[in-house]
Amino acid sequence: MNDFSVEANGLTKYFGNYKAVDHVSLAVPTGSIYGVLGPNGAGKTTSLRMTLGIIDPDAGTSRLFGGQRPQSVRHRIGYLPEERGLYPGMKAREAIAFMGALRGLDWSEGRRRAAGFMTELGLERVIDEKIRKMSKGMAQMIQLIGSIVHAPDLIVLDEPFSGLDPVNQERLEMLVRRERDRGATILFSTHVMAHAERLCDRIAIIARSARRFEGTVDEARALLPMQVRYTPRTAGDPAAVAANLPAGAELRGDAWHFAIQDADVEPLLARITASGHGVTGLSISRPALHDAFVHIVRQVDAGFDADATEDAVEEASA
Amino acid sequence: MTPFIRSMFVVARRDFLAIVATPTFLLFLLAPLFMVAMGLAGGVGASQLADSARGAGRIVVVADPADIEALRASDQRLRTGMTREPAPLDIRIVGPANVDPVAIAREKGSDTYAVMSGPLTAPRIVEREKGSSAGRYLALLAGDAQRARAAGPMPSITPDFEALSSGGTSIAVQQSLGFGAVFIIFLLTLLLAGQTVSSLAEEKGNKVIEILAAAVPLESVFLGKLLGMLGVAVLFIAFWMIVAMGGGLIAATQVDPAAIAAAGKAGKATAALASMPATGWPFFLGIGFAYFILSFLLLGAVFLGIGAQAGSVREIQMLSLPITIFQVGMFSLSAAAASAPGSGLAHFAQIFPFSSPLAMAARAATDDAKAVHLLALGWQAIWVALVIFLSVRLFRSGVLSGGSGWKFWSRNKAVAPAAAAAQAASSQSH
Repeated sequence: MNDFSVEANGLTKYFGNYKAVDHVSLAVPTGSIYGVLGPNGAGKTTSLRMTLGIIDPDAGTSRLFGGQRPQSVRHRIGYLPEERGLYPGMKAREAIAFMGALRGLDWSEGRRRAAGFMTELGLERVIDEKIRKMSKGMAQMIQLIGSIVHAPDLIVLDEPFSGLDPVNQERLEMLVRRERDRGATILFSTHVMAHAERLCDRIAIIARSARRFEGTVDEARALLPMQVRYTPRTAGDPAAVAANLPAGAELRGDAWHFAIQDADVEPLLARITASGHGVTGLSISRPALHDAFVHIVRQVDAGFDADATEDAVEEASA
Repeated sequence: MTPFIRSMFVVARRDFLAIVATPTFLLFLLAPLFMVAMGLAGGVGASQLADSARGAGRIVVVADPADIEALRASDQRLRTGMTREPAPLDIRIVGPANVDPVAIAREKGSDTYAVMSGPLTAPRIVEREKGSSAGRYLALLAGDAQRARAAGPMPSITPDFEALSSGGTSIAVQQSLGFGAVFIIFLLTLLLAGQTVSSLAEEKGNKVIEILAAAVPLESVFLGKLLGMLGVAVLFIAFWMIVAMGGGLIAATQVDPAAIAAAGKAGKATAALASMPATGWPFFLGIGFAYFILSFLLLGAVFLGIGAQAGSVREIQMLSLPITIFQVGMFSLSAAAASAPGSGLAHFAQIFPFSSPLAMAARAATDDAKAVHLLALGWQAIWVALVIFLSVRLFRSGVLSGGSGWKFWSRNKAVAPAAAAAQAASSQSH
């Protein structure tokens, strides 16, 4: 038994001369929630589409459920595309049953489950309402239900949270966790870090067409040093206090802010205790995923900017 | 049922219901009613015109009083033998008032086709058009009147007409049956198959295409859409068949059977009905329907494939003209083939896939071989599959993979600079 539901290797896609996706690999453990993070236009959607075999990669392969071609296991996959789409003339229940039927679910069973899901998500009011009469967020919830109504083993959601209000975002998180508990593997893309931080077992960060990071959320956060916020008890000479702190410590109001390596935590505490300036407040925390993400993306962008400048110089001299 | 077939029917069911369950469909269904009404109005007007014109025509003989009886008797005899009955004959007595035939021909108030004057042995015939049938008839009349007078009274003949009860094996009638089949299939596909060109536009517009592409093979999406449209077409035909049969039954109960029988003797349509296509009526109708379905599927698949490449509604509208011309072209080819069975052209039309259903339907009227139709249906089905396969390939490589560039012919040119520009813009903002 293979432990990975998704194994994509070296996926590459060109749009004309532009390399939209550059050797992206994804390995999603079975039964996990996996986030693909990246800025807008980084190549997340194209990567997911190639993973699912909707478009053919120019290079690389995608195998699901232990070596199967994506096209041969369609009925075990649920997919919410980035560009939402439903037939406006269909009723919600029919639309969900239709999407289920496409994946091989019986129509009547689809209708039954549709009503169940909708009631659970507070949408029982619009079960027999036509899609065109719904708000965008409602329609999106309908489509989401449609993509999981056949109880798939792999659920792929492209930007599932965008366009939802906080209440529905909460419901969606609940739904994702429950599907995972049912045994499904969930792969989703987002550029909102909060959801990824709460939900994901593992993440991959894609920027500028290529994968820049892969690992757990904690591993991503560990890329940056821990942040310390320290408030001394005695308002003495700032220079004397700073002498005990690492270089670059910054005084904002009463508190000092600075970054610190993991190994330096204990010596720092010892120095502060010994200094006699006292402690009214001290917090040592990992930076949020948000900061790690911005850090990674900025690094990548900086590399590209350097290239771009070189190109510009070459062009100017030519 | 394999997953492929099942998903095909899921798509077909959705399309069929989405089309049928709208008020617009009712308009579509009843549209032929307007056509029939317009046709009737036009037909009545035209026949009234013809009637009024017919009453005004005449031919004139200016004759010696001694010849008048003979001429009248001859006219009665000859008139019935003409394929097109000549205009009424006006016989005048030679006198000072009727000297100039040209003047008579120019008299106002009626159309005078020809005027004969002078002795019957050397008549002078003035006709409106050189070599007209009216002129020839008058010459024939003069000759007959003289011959009758010379021969004296003749014994009357009482012919006994007898029709061949199943004599409709006439090749001409069979050919016109073939042409009729070609025309009906062409008309139905022209009316019904053209819609497939826009049927993928809906999914592209509301982005459902990605759901479909992710969930089922695109081949089954295309085939399903085609089947859905075929269902609509068959419903349309069935509706009008039932209406026509119901109308026919009602008419049959209203009209005196004797009148039908009387009309049947004269009507050419009933003559065609009484005759048989070479393969027999049940087979001919059945195979005709089968060929309609394949013609619909073939042309529909082509249009669907072309329409799938179109980026906007405007492009689809622009495509409708070439599509109509293509259909008319196939019709002309098959019609020409139908009027020349067995010729090289006919064989070409029967083998060329897009005219094959039309031409083969015509062949069923004139050729009693049946096995060849099975071959033709198979051949056409292969082409349906081939067209679908190619359409899907084009669609996958062009439209779906094009990302932001929805047109397959510009994806390589347009997308790259746009992406480069976006990249430049984003790097500047940092």
